[in-house]
Amino acid sequence: MYEWSEEHKMIRDAVRQFIEAEVRPLRDELEFGDTPPYDVIRSFYRTFGMDQMARDSFSRRIKRDKEVEAGTAAPLEGREAAGNNAGMTLIPIIELCRCSPGLVTAMGVSTGLGAGTIMSRGTVRQKERWALDLLTFEKVGAWAITEPDSGSDAFGRMQSTARRDGDEYLLNGSKTFITNGPYADTTVFICKLDEGNPPSERKILSFVLDKGMDGFEQTKPMRKMGMHSSPTGMLFLSDVRVGKDRLLGETEDVPYREGAKQAFSIERVGVAAMALGIVDRCLELSIAYAKECVRFGKPIGEHQLIQDKLARMEMARFNLENMVFRSIEKAAVGVGLELAEASVMKLYSARAAMEVALEAVQLHGGNGYMAEYEVEQLARDAKVLQIYAGTDEIQISQIARSLLS
Amino acid sequence: MNVVVCVKQIPDPAVPGELTSDNRLKRDGAKAILDESDSYGVEMALQLVDKAGSGEVILVSMAPNGEVSGLRQALAMGAARAILISDDALAGADALTTSKVIAKAVERAGGVDLVLAATESSDGYTGTVPAQVAELLGWPSLTFAKHVEIADGKVTIQRQTENGYDVVAASLPAVVSVTAGVVEPRYPSFKGIMAAKSKPLDQVTAADLGLNSISAGQSIVSVDAAPARQAGEKVEDDGTAFERIVTYLEELKVI
Ligand SMILES: Cc1cc2nc3c(=O)[nH]c(=O)nc-3n(C[C@H](O)[C@H](O)[C@H](O)COP(=O)(O)OP(=O)(O)OC[C@H]3O[C@@H](n4cnc5c(N)ncnc54)[C@H](O)[C@@H]3O)c2cc1C
Repeated sequence: MYEWSEEHKMIRDAVRQFIEAEVRPLRDELEFGDTPPYDVIRSFYRTFGMDQMARDSFSRRIKRDKEVEAGTAAPLEGREAAGNNAGMTLIPIIELCRCSPGLVTAMGVSTGLGAGTIMSRGTVRQKERWALDLLTFEKVGAWAITEPDSGSDAFGRMQSTARRDGDEYLLNGSKTFITNGPYADTTVFICKLDEGNPPSERKILSFVLDKGMDGFEQTKPMRKMGMHSSPTGMLFLSDVRVGKDRLLGETEDVPYREGAKQAFSIERVGVAAMALGIVDRCLELSIAYAKECVRFGKPIGEHQLIQDKLARMEMARFNLENMVFRSIEKAAVGVGLELAEASVMKLYSARAAMEVALEAVQLHGGNGYMAEYEVEQLARDAKVLQIYAGTDEIQISQIARSLLS
Repeated sequence: MNVVVCVKQIPDPAVPGELTSDNRLKRDGAKAILDESDSYGVEMALQLVDKAGSGEVILVSMAPNGEVSGLRQALAMGAARAILISDDALAGADALTTSKVIAKAVERAGGVDLVLAATESSDGYTGTVPAQVAELLGWPSLTFAKHVEIADGKVTIQRQTENGYDVVAASLPAVVSVTAGVVEPRYPSFKGIMAAKSKPLDQVTAADLGLNSISAGQSIVSVDAAPARQAGEKVEDDGTAFERIVTYLEELKVI
């Protein structure tokens, strides 16, 4: 694949038209106010039938799951499991990021990480109970692993615990930087099973929590540098009592780390698409500005130092687009991305988005620093791509580890 | 209930056009889009068929070079199938020739209860095709509909007038031209977009429709740029500018 197909372009055009008509007019509210993003995302889902598509593919999956449980079918693998719709998922990400990357963060965490974890680790009953409403975006999901004192060392330093209490568990701990935390209806809470053994030997378990459960506090959104359209909060749990029905998999014996790797790969491809959207928009705005802003007797686009910026932006856009094509192509033939490969993409993408967005601010001069010009927002938004879904430093160490092993 | 929607695939107005030596718009190479004014008819038709509970929306389009981009857009919105008339012999066809082709295509579609069209296209603006098609088919013609309802074998519309609307009814089958306000066109769903390519597309020539002698009927003598807009009147506000503005609006009879 070296270019978008006719269908991809139709999806792109329709989505872009929707965003210009329905989302961009709300940019001030979403990016500079406190309006939560969920109504916009829901209307996006409904407009393009993404909710119905999610419902259809969910019932196909559940049917298959039941057959697998009954021993009449084998689990899906490769191409069938990957589906052939990677483009259909990535184009909305790219297009939304041309306007409001926070919407993608809020949407991706809810459906990709929240519902995604339940779909990969939950029982059929749990999927039906929680995942479907998240996949259709009727409800909002959060996924909580990060703690104030763990971060990149998420599993190593995790303090949150589950303690057995009869047939039930008592959950305790605090989580921070949790996307959708303030509003989530459904939260996947990751913690360690405390059996009195040393923390490094404890099993990792995940539980599903509902909003409003006793002892479960979801804070107000935290103030932050960018991604204002994606609410981020803290979670506090004190003796939240849950039954086994909320333990994902309904058994203590599903190793968490293995499944997490696949989720990380998918998340990292998503970041490449996000970066492409940010870069594409920054470039578009920069080209227009380079033509119209006249300094020293000519449009700034005719000054070589500005040309250098534009050329570098185009180089980044080109590389990002090719990475996205590569992941679509791989999904189409059913070959997953290796974690190290996904790390390469994530590292490059995050850096490219940050560099391009800052250069776009520079090219716009003082205007670029003003909120009215979109590049100001995109530059603040881009920074987080280097931090979440694994920091740049963590990607580097993963790439190096795979090269040296 | 089967509804035909006449859809025109026009050159993308966002792309600067170029003329050929005989003063026609260069068509090859440039991607065509669904004329936005036709998207209202498509939406109206989808809603009517949906309400009727059975039947289908059939698109009819005449376009050069086997152009399908605009048709795909309308198929993605939910139309069931399309008839495309593409024929070099039709290059430069005038409105009447176009109407003859469309009327024949409506007959080819078969079992049609209603034909919807826009009041005029966004590139040609003749605004005569819907009435001509009705005449050629021998069906009633209802125009400028801002609201359409079907019941008991009859179509009833609200016909937009300068001051309000007239209620006009006719028996089916009929031809109705709809205004831009009639309904809000939907965005195509992703599923619709993916399905559009595999929907039936019947591509025919004028001869396939039984139209053998086609005369272009018109030639374009010259094309001139629209006159630049006259400079407006500037009113310096010394505190009484509103009076001048009110008088001006009164002269225009808008207040
Ligand atoms: C907007 C936003 C949304 C988020 N959403 C969620 C969410 O929904 N759910 C969730 O669980 N988490 C979420 N996070 C948390 C995010 O995943 C973490 O911020 C990230 O993993 C980094 O952890 P940390 O912030 O504790 O940084 P730290 O791990 O404390 O890192 C500090 C610095 O040390 C570096 N460092 C750490 N370890 C190494 C090493 N081994 N070698 C070299 N350098 C190293 C880091 O790269 C970084 O530069 C979100 C964060 C943000 C900012």
